[in-house]
Amino acid sequence: MSTTYTIPVGPVHVGLKEPITAWLELEGERIVNARVRPGAIHRGIEFMARERNPIQVIYLSERICGICSFSHVICFIRAVEDLAQMNVPVRGQYIRSLVLELERVHSHLLWSGVACYTIGFDSAFHLGMQMRERVMDVLELLSGNRVNYGVATFGGVRWDVTPELEKALRGMVRYYRQEFTPFREIVMEDPVAQARMRNVGVLTRDEAVRYSAVGPTARASGLRIDLRKSSPYEAYADFDVEPVVPQDYFGEAHGDVLDRFAVRVLEVYQSLDIIEKILDGLPEGPFVEEANLNKVMASLKKADGTGWGIIEAPRGDDTHIVSLKGGVDNVLWWKVRAPTYANAVSWPIMFRGNELADAPLIINSIDPCISCMERMLVTDEREYRSEVVTRSELVKRSRQKTFELGSLKSKYVPGGGAEQ
Amino acid sequence: MTSKFKKMAVDCETLVAALKAKFADDIVRLDVREHRGGSLNEVQSRDLWIEISRTAFRPFLDFLFEYDFVDFHVISGDDVGIADAVQTQTQSQAQDQNPDGQNQEKPQEDSVLLHYHFSLFQRSRCGRMGVTLSVRVPKGDLSVPSIFDLLPGSEYSEREMHEMLGVEFVGLPNSALVFLPEDWNEEIKPWRRDGVGPALEALRELS
Amino acid sequence: MKSFDMDILRILPRSLWVTTCNSGSCNGCDIEVVATLGPRYDIERFGMKLVGTPRHADVLIVTGPVTHFMHEKLKRIYHQMPDPKVVVVVGNCGCSGDVFYKSYNLDGPVDNIIPVDVYVHGCAPRPEAVIEGVTKAVLKLEGLGKKPDKKEEAQEAEAMKEAEAAGGVAL
Repeated sequence: MSTTYTIPVGPVHVGLKEPITAWLELEGERIVNARVRPGAIHRGIEFMARERNPIQVIYLSERICGICSFSHVICFIRAVEDLAQMNVPVRGQYIRSLVLELERVHSHLLWSGVACYTIGFDSAFHLGMQMRERVMDVLELLSGNRVNYGVATFGGVRWDVTPELEKALRGMVRYYRQEFTPFREIVMEDPVAQARMRNVGVLTRDEAVRYSAVGPTARASGLRIDLRKSSPYEAYADFDVEPVVPQDYFGEAHGDVLDRFAVRVLEVYQSLDIIEKILDGLPEGPFVEEANLNKVMASLKKADGTGWGIIEAPRGDDTHIVSLKGGVDNVLWWKVRAPTYANAVSWPIMFRGNELADAPLIINSIDPCISCMERMLVTDEREYRSEVVTRSELVKRSRQKTFELGSLKSKYVPGGGAEQ
Repeated sequence: MTSKFKKMAVDCETLVAALKAKFADDIVRLDVREHRGGSLNEVQSRDLWIEISRTAFRPFLDFLFEYDFVDFHVISGDDVGIADAVQTQTQSQAQDQNPDGQNQEKPQEDSVLLHYHFSLFQRSRCGRMGVTLSVRVPKGDLSVPSIFDLLPGSEYSEREMHEMLGVEFVGLPNSALVFLPEDWNEEIKPWRRDGVGPALEALRELS
Repeated sequence: MKSFDMDILRILPRSLWVTTCNSGSCNGCDIEVVATLGPRYDIERFGMKLVGTPRHADVLIVTGPVTHFMHEKLKRIYHQMPDPKVVVVVGNCGCSGDVFYKSYNLDGPVDNIIPVDVYVHGCAPRPEAVIEGVTKAVLKLEGLGKKPDKKEEAQEAEAMKEAEAAGGVAL
């Protein structure tokens, strides 16, 4: 008689359209099967947009997700620009790319901090959070807000890069070049952290293709895809952006959590390079095609058709499809596909064969949104008894595993040995 | 057949010519859009927008899967109703210069338009080609073949279109609700613009 | 259980334990709550700390406009917290709905569902504002220690009864 437990992982689940409830089927500590059910935080944003005009929807799309808000805005705006045939001045394109890269830096830093927290590496978590404040300062200097920036508009951007901001940006790049390497070494060269993340939540390259994984999740599986290379948008058309894949750095792609960590960390360096290139090549000129919103609105009212915007957000490619109807103010329909929507499909495969203590790490590894797991309900089906396992207990289990590994460190040889 | 790495990457013109040769009768509409960017304002990528008749949907996908790996993004869709069908008909008649304008070959059916978004040829710089495949599904028989067997990654999109627009995906193993709450009345399809959509009283203003 | 021990109320506000519930927010407020834990804002200076379970918490931070799915879960979390407790809503959408209106799946704002003590506005509020909101929770608890509010007690007793009827506290 098989004794499997079924554990639902967190209905209270942070995220936008990608809050997930997962039922993990366990045999002892080992996960044998997983079912995933999103939908806790479905607000019906796409439906709400039908009552609003495109300019109002910019600010709604910003509130799809607080972490990659700018990506969603640019993606929505590009979809509308695609259907209405609008131009963006080159300076506007450069500033858009600049903010997109700043957002990638802050998102990846936040993620690496939270991943460290999940495995019980608290000092690295605080180090990551402290470093993240620097890029938040720059974003605040640019836009006046730390989370939803309100920078982009149709045909360009709303805020310019001032000499003061440029100085702050260059200072930030210098700071990260200096401070980020120690952080990377502390985490990635730590044998316990390596043992904790290596060969956990594996997604092979073929599975990544079949399950349409995107972004760092796909690249960690060795898939060389990056929209900044394959269909350069905005200022990326002027630079060569090579997808960061683990096989280029470590010889082989494992597709596990450590590879996802490495890809994100290396992408931070890549973003810093891009930010410098943008600052060096920032052209003079207007940064918005038409600043008068009434005129923009009038031209959008005439637009008719369906547009597709697709960009490389921090977590993967973000797709928006927008349809406008001529003579109508409001958006006809709108479809958003956030990166986690695509990556979440491959969760069940990543879970298989791992331990319950790895579940928070695996869920976190695709960067679904910061604190995934709020609380869990453990059902013991044999005795029809339920008990609540809280997030803290689950994290405690996850941390316990790290400490056990730590005490075995001398005997334990981390699988793979990425750094050799 | 599933999505796999293949070496067959071609340029846009070749692909369009191959599609036109193979599916001449089934293509309702075909546009190519170019995306420009950067300081030189050169073409950086192309999108192909194809509307195809429902019968040719699966053969078309099988053909597309011969090329370098098909990356699936999402399915979008809208309840286009009757009016749009009439408009498309008149447009296509004008294009075809059809002498007997009253033909009933394209019935003015109340329908849902589904768009499948894919990417091809993502390995070379500026090589990506977006493919949007549109299929018009009449509300009388609201079903299309599932592409779950080709790309398991399409599961959520198909389930979403099922719950939002009421389209049946034939061959999808699990078509339970994805985003709507468990106690949702499945008779109500939020994105529909006819009687099946949510009632006005159900919409909350909050403040 | 309604007779608050005055000593407890004198000591309790000095070290509040906080739990969070995202009821459908965009995550923007949640990252600002995480930022308050970080080294720069460091909420532990005030003796506060974030705990993972409502059963250990004195303060509940709620973000988001409350989706239909989260309605019952939010109520359950509220009733799982021991008395005396304070609810802080962080972010405009939890306070008033903000950009989220005309949806088929929203039951908010938060004060439609559970009693709210402190509203923190902003989209998203800065970490300083979050800290200010939580420190206002201290004021409420100190006020309770001085003069128990009969009306509020009655309200809470009613809420408890309601919860028991709904089976919310049975877990």
